[in-house]
Amino acid sequence: MCQDMVVVETTSICKSFFDAATGRETVTLENVSISAAENDFLVLIGPSGSGKSTFLNIIAGLIPHNGAPGQVSVHGQPVFAPNPKLMAYMFQDPVLLPWRTVIKNIEFGLEAQPISKEERQERALKYLDMVGLRDFADFYPRQISGGMAQRVALCRALALETDIILMDEPFGALDEQSRIVLGDELVEIWRKVRRTIVFVTHSLTEAVYLAESIAVFTARPGKIKAEIKVDLPRPRKIGSPDFNTMVDTLWEYLKEESITALNREKTGEDRVALPKE
Amino acid sequence: MSRLSPAVARTIIIVCVLIVCEIVTDYSSASRIIVAPPSEIFWQVLKIVTATSNVPHFYPNAWITIQEVLGAFAVTAIVGIGLGFAFASSKLIGDAFEPILLVLYAIPMVILFPLFVLILGIGMAPKIVFGITVGIFVVVFNTSAAVRQIDPNFTRLARSLGYGRVMTFFKVILPATAPTILAGLRLGFGYTVIGVMAAELLVVTKGLGSLIDWASFNYFTPQLYALIIITLMIGVTGNSFFSVLERRWVK
Repeated sequence: MCQDMVVVETTSICKSFFDAATGRETVTLENVSISAAENDFLVLIGPSGSGKSTFLNIIAGLIPHNGAPGQVSVHGQPVFAPNPKLMAYMFQDPVLLPWRTVIKNIEFGLEAQPISKEERQERALKYLDMVGLRDFADFYPRQISGGMAQRVALCRALALETDIILMDEPFGALDEQSRIVLGDELVEIWRKVRRTIVFVTHSLTEAVYLAESIAVFTARPGKIKAEIKVDLPRPRKIGSPDFNTMVDTLWEYLKEESITALNREKTGEDRVALPKE
Repeated sequence: MSRLSPAVARTIIIVCVLIVCEIVTDYSSASRIIVAPPSEIFWQVLKIVTATSNVPHFYPNAWITIQEVLGAFAVTAIVGIGLGFAFASSKLIGDAFEPILLVLYAIPMVILFPLFVLILGIGMAPKIVFGITVGIFVVVFNTSAAVRQIDPNFTRLARSLGYGRVMTFFKVILPATAPTILAGLRLGFGYTVIGVMAAELLVVTKGLGSLIDWASFNYFTPQLYALIIITLMIGVTGNSFFSVLERRWVK
């Protein structure tokens, strides 16, 4: 248990953005070192602007960090660019292509790789089955609900059959009830397929509900304030005493940081335009 | 009560208008030099397309117009889409050159036509060039708008899935922009036809425009109406072609 294999490892990652308009440099991440073990469900939580999404994008290889000595490695290999053989990435929005049917959207994830048509279809159907949407395979995205669309996006990520899935507030745009239901489904799938998940959220409940371990980010510049193991038994029960204690603990860490972040917004001091990425 | 389908309603209206026209031209004192009864116009259309009317060299002239329209539209489509992509994909190019296009778009192109004739003579060239200058703007603007409207998440998604630039273009950018670009091409075709026909009427040498001018000059009124209708068919055909493409795409 204590010698779990490390799958994702970041060492002293720094990231700063240069704003050409004001000529100022903003540090969003400062010396972030985190690791996720095999089959881990690691949740990154922090106040808005703490750089947790940026950090996830850096792990994915979607945006570069400041470089050495910081390093991201996955299975011991440094990451410089997105690698769909190693990591699947899931956005806050479903990002389904409107001109493709549900199943074709899932297959889209595999078309950049040399995978046969038959296998693409087979995999897509397998994961559609898993989320109970097989009957909707030939529907177009506009014909399905937001929750269903996000399930399809989950299928697309799962169908890559990577060891690692990175999720950037994947249920953030859904209503609370759909969030809980989808969270349940995700945990169920995660236990079935055993992948390493790194999950960004700003919801305390969601963090405690899903996570094996939680990394708390500080207000900008983002650093790791605490790493917490969540060893509540599953299925977890929202509102149970243990659950609430955990949420309280998490809030203790986050409170001060959230207030810092909010005050900064209020005074407008140190306002920066971060590039949308 | 059963409901009328739009197509049936449309047909009824058109038939009614034709009947009214027929009655008015037959029974009113309106001069036959100004109006022609629809039945006679229809008869003339048949005679013209079977080359049995007094319209001289219908097919050679029509062929010239079709060549001009197709030539002008080919350039409009290729250059227009190319410019649209260039404007949208580079902020420098877009910011630098789009204002020029917007200014050109705002001036009535027809005032440039004498210049084209001066430079290019009175053959097909000035008519083609004029057709392009009238038709190309809407293609450029629609294309660049289509590219700019692409959800940036689409390209990020493609990148995260390991798509390269070329694959992203063919699998994401092109399908995402196709409906708007097709709409631009449909409008652009209409404008190209307008441009070519205006040019043919301004410099009367060959083409359907010259036949229309001939019919009008000689007071062959039914022939005039018939030729106008035949010319309209070119525009209508192009328009329906792109409508079908668009509908197939949106489906």
